[in-house]
Amino acid sequence: MSDYFVGIDLGSSYTKFAVSDEDKNLVYKAVVPTLSRNKDVFKNELEKIRDKYSISKICTTGYGRNSFDSDIKKTELVCASVGVSALYPEHKCIIDIGGEDIKIIESGPKGEVLNFYMNDKCSAGTGTFITEIAEKAELEISEMSTLAKTSNTTKVINSFCTVFAKSEILGWKFNDMPIEEIARSIYLSIVTRIRKLPVKTNLAIYLCGGVIAFHPYLKALISEEFNVDITVPDDSQFIVALGASVLAKMKK
Amino acid sequence: MPRLQSQTALKNILKTYFTEMRSPIAWCTSAGPAEILRALGFDVYFPENHGALLGASRIAEKYIPRAHQEGFDGEICSYLTADIGAWLMKETPLTKIYGLESIPKPDLIVFNTNQCREVAEWFSYFGREFDCPVVGIFPPRYLETVHKADIDNVVAQFKNLISIGENVIGKKLDPERLAETLRLSSEGSQLWKKVLGTASNKPAPLSFFDGCILMAPIVVLRGTQICVDFYKDALSELTQLVNNNKGAVADEQVRIYWEGMPVWGKLRSLSELFAQNNASVVASTYCNSWVFDDFDISNPLESMAHAYTQIFINRGENTKLEMMMDLIETFSVDGVIFHNSKTCFNNANGRFGLPGRLEKETGIPTVSFDGDLVDLRFFSEGQTETKLETFFEQLKG
Repeated sequence: MSDYFVGIDLGSSYTKFAVSDEDKNLVYKAVVPTLSRNKDVFKNELEKIRDKYSISKICTTGYGRNSFDSDIKKTELVCASVGVSALYPEHKCIIDIGGEDIKIIESGPKGEVLNFYMNDKCSAGTGTFITEIAEKAELEISEMSTLAKTSNTTKVINSFCTVFAKSEILGWKFNDMPIEEIARSIYLSIVTRIRKLPVKTNLAIYLCGGVIAFHPYLKALISEEFNVDITVPDDSQFIVALGASVLAKMKK
Repeated sequence: MPRLQSQTALKNILKTYFTEMRSPIAWCTSAGPAEILRALGFDVYFPENHGALLGASRIAEKYIPRAHQEGFDGEICSYLTADIGAWLMKETPLTKIYGLESIPKPDLIVFNTNQCREVAEWFSYFGREFDCPVVGIFPPRYLETVHKADIDNVVAQFKNLISIGENVIGKKLDPERLAETLRLSSEGSQLWKKVLGTASNKPAPLSFFDGCILMAPIVVLRGTQICVDFYKDALSELTQLVNNNKGAVADEQVRIYWEGMPVWGKLRSLSELFAQNNASVVASTYCNSWVFDDFDISNPLESMAHAYTQIFINRGENTKLEMMMDLIETFSVDGVIFHNSKTCFNNANGRFGLPGRLEKETGIPTVSFDGDLVDLRFFSEGQTETKLETFFEQLKG
């Protein structure tokens, strides 16, 4: 029976499981909420994986990587770099928009981190920001991308503070700003935050993380902003977990 | 048990320093002309040391909000806000550690803005509180080249300080005592340099986190025999470790330069994080701030003016780059970490593009993280850990 490797990405919002084979192929994926008090959800998922595959090693990553007894622990930046490289072994720049942070990684062909940037404290411009603001704007997350596409507005949320950003949204609602304009404006706010980060536009750009999985229109806006083609790998939400599973294999 | 015996010896030295401090007492900034004050006959107390203590003992968060109430902003020096807050609440960690009733009462307060303007506001506040004379030394700032006119300027201010100090103490400054104090300062400082220099060995026997503890005497007892003796012993202990090939961290794999202030409340956890990742902080601007090569007993005031005006924090960006490059070479550094200390504008040196220029000049990777010297509200544990661990991975290749 061949060996399989598990990567678990315990992110700030969701925990992603990835199982890969000896050839770095993603053979199984699953996602559960990280913040659930019900720890059984996590345990059950892992048992399901163990029932199905002969697991050799486990690598945990993400904010909660140290809260699980695994064979190795690696940061989500290292795993993102290895994960994208499993699919695209080239010198590249990865933009990973997660629940609480944005990371820019200059990544080598073998997955080595050559340089990186991540925000330190304020999480404005990340997944949690979108979720909070969308709620105030009475926008369904699943509809945001479709709505935003139909607007041409250039308006952005000015405040860096999520709480004050919500007040701005309130003002827009008072002024009867169309919902599609609000949707596009929220995305443009994310783009203006990415604009100040050291994105290497001379390299192939890959976009991954949970946010892009739920907000596909962001790809077009970021591409437009930097005037470059952008690739969103398949299963972009699981790229970090995939990278972790590949690192688990290397631990052997 | 501390890893180094010197750390145990230090505890007793500091106990004696604090419990035997007697009037007349002068307060002084850490890179101020303490030698003049000691030679005049003052015992010298350093409020920055108190600020660091408030940070390291993680009680500052109790006091900082009290200073905010008084109108001291949340984004100014957290040594200042923690220290003034503690004063307003009539508390000090010196009570618990050394049995002191309060911080020592000053007879003269002296600051040097070679490090920042915040010390002027901080020390002047206490001048008003204690109705005590305050003397500020205001050297020319951010110098690339230090000119004779700059030194003459500072010497004139030292002479004014001496005259005010003589009035407070009621007697003239003895030139021989000044020369002797300066000789001891110089010897202590050169020994401190050698102590730090032991980290140029591979593996390094001491890290920045050890240095932040061992530096106390060169700050608060500079110009005394106690300071000299302490660093003689420390040097001998560290030399022994070098001879035995014993590193501060097990299996040293990456050698780091730490730029900026320590995060006093996180010294231990950061030290452990580095050790777990086989990363040793072998050099820092901070610990090197008390290495003075210019003290000259035949020319005390001019040489002191030189020493205290040409410190890293008082220099222009080009000079800072050169000073860092020197240390990076001497200590065989693999990567540089810039601590962007949010309330220490003057010693957060990554804000004007220095990391990028350093990378370009040396090819050595850098990373910056947000934090603070004392106010841990500016420090994000998870983010910093992720950032540093990724940096270590990057350096290991």
